[in-house]
Parts: sequence; structure tokens; C-alpha cells
Amino acid sequence: MTDSDGRLHRLFAEDEPPVNDPAFTMAVMAGVARRRFLFDLGVLFVVASLGGAVLWSAWPVLAQHFVPLAAGLSPVVACLSLAITAVVLLEGRVTAASGLKHG
Amino acid sequence: MSPESLDAALVESAQAGSMAAFARLVDRHQQALRAFLRRTCGDWALADDLAQETLLTAWSRIDRLKTGLSVRAWLCGIGYNKHLSTMRTTGRQRAREMAYEAEKPPSSGAMTDERLTLEAAMAELQPDQRACVALCLAADFSHAEAAETLGLPLGTVKSHVTRGRARLLAVLGGSDD
Repeated sequence: MTDSDGRLHRLFAEDEPPVNDPAFTMAVMAGVARRRFLFDLGVLFVVASLGGAVLWSAWPVLAQHFVPLAAGLSPVVACLSLAITAVVLLEGRVTAASGLKHG
Repeated sequence: MSPESLDAALVESAQAGSMAAFARLVDRHQQALRAFLRRTCGDWALADDLAQETLLTAWSRIDRLKTGLSVRAWLCGIGYNKHLSTMRTTGRQRAREMAYEAEKPPSSGAMTDERLTLEAAMAELQPDQRACVALCLAADFSHAEAAETLGLPLGTVKSHVTRGRARLLAVLGGSDD
């Protein structure tokens, strides 16, 4: 490197951004989290809409089989729904506590 | 662990969906990316906005980053393309804002006269030339690395760097040794 190159390099280096800038990193990661949330929301919306449409179109056929069973099965289905919801909601904490997943 | 292998490990984790790994990549490369965009744009606020947009795009395209490719060069490439599209779409509006900014007293009181002269000389270079100078003279990129980052032929990069360097030194009043 010549003296002139060194001089240019030194001048350019005078106003370098900081090596660590937590505010900048935090702003970027907030944007990433926002994008991820919107993506998840979009996927859930599409899946829920498709599921609803399938259920709606198949209901006349399903009703013939499920309505007679509904009275007997409803307590079991209610318990299963609660259990699945609890597992989904607590998944992060349960797996983190058991050391199965990090972060 | 070398910086390259640490980057490779972090990229692999980020590709698997780890936001923590991506946050570490942001930490490691934000300085180089922001410095490059500041030198290329000349407008620090816009450069920092572009750097944030660049990193968001990088997150959504992290799967496309090939093994062995420099993360810093990849990010600067995305940032440069964003800078070019911003210049194309908002050129007129930015020109008005820059004219307004130019009329205001300089906010960077700590800047030396030499530094201000360099800034003004950089602003007069063509965008491609400015980007080549910013990468090769300020950020220690090789000519080949800069050519790949900016998507320019190697010969063009070499010529941009040589002419840009001569122009900056002429304005700064130094000898071209």
C-alpha cells in the first residue's frame, strides 16, 4: 500500500459506523420478526380458509356420519381439543425446559 | 474458529431458520455494509435505511447464499442493487432533499476539512466508480471480489478504481505515488 492509499484509507476510516450497534441490530431483527409474523399469519389464513372451504363443501356427506356420533363423542373431542391447545401453547416452554430445543 | 468458518456456521443455522444466528451475522457485518452504503450514497440516513432493507432482503434470500461465498460481499451486492433502484425511483425527490440538506449547516462538526473534501470528491464520481472506490480503497476488497459484488467486468472495476483514486488524490492535493 502506497502513502496515498494509506492516506485515503485513513480518511475513509474517520467516520466508520461503530463495530457494535445494538440499536441498529435490534431494528433489523424487529423487521425480521415482523416479516416472519406476517408470513405466518398469511399461511394460517390460507390454511384456515382452505380448511373451512373443504369442510363446508364436504359437510352434507360428513353430517350423515358425524351428527349421530356427535352426542357420544363431544366430551372426548372437547378434552382432546383442550389437550392439543395446551401442548401447542406450551410447546416452546416445555421443550426448552426439557432441553430438547434451544432458543 | 476462523471468521469465514464462523460465518459459514451462522449462515447454515440461519438457513435452518435460526433468528439468533442471523442476528449474529447482522452484528458481524453491519459495520462493513453501512460504511459501504454511506460512501456510495453520501447520505447517511438513506444509507442506514438501505442497510436495514438490505438485511431484511438477505433474511428472505438466505437460502440462496451459496456455501463459501463471502457474506460481506453478498450483502454489499444486495445493498448496491438497492441503492441503484432507489436512485432510479426516487432520484428527483432525493435531489430536492439533497439540495435542501446542502443549504443547511453541516451537522458533522467533527469532520476534518480533508474528510469533507473527500466526501465532496466522492459525490462527484459516477455511481459505479464510487462503489468501486468504496469497496477497493476503503474496504480492502480485491478487484475480483468487487467485480463479483457489483456485477461489473474486472477490467471496468480496475479502471474505475484507478481513475477514482487519481481523481480523489487530485482533489485532496496529494501526489499519486
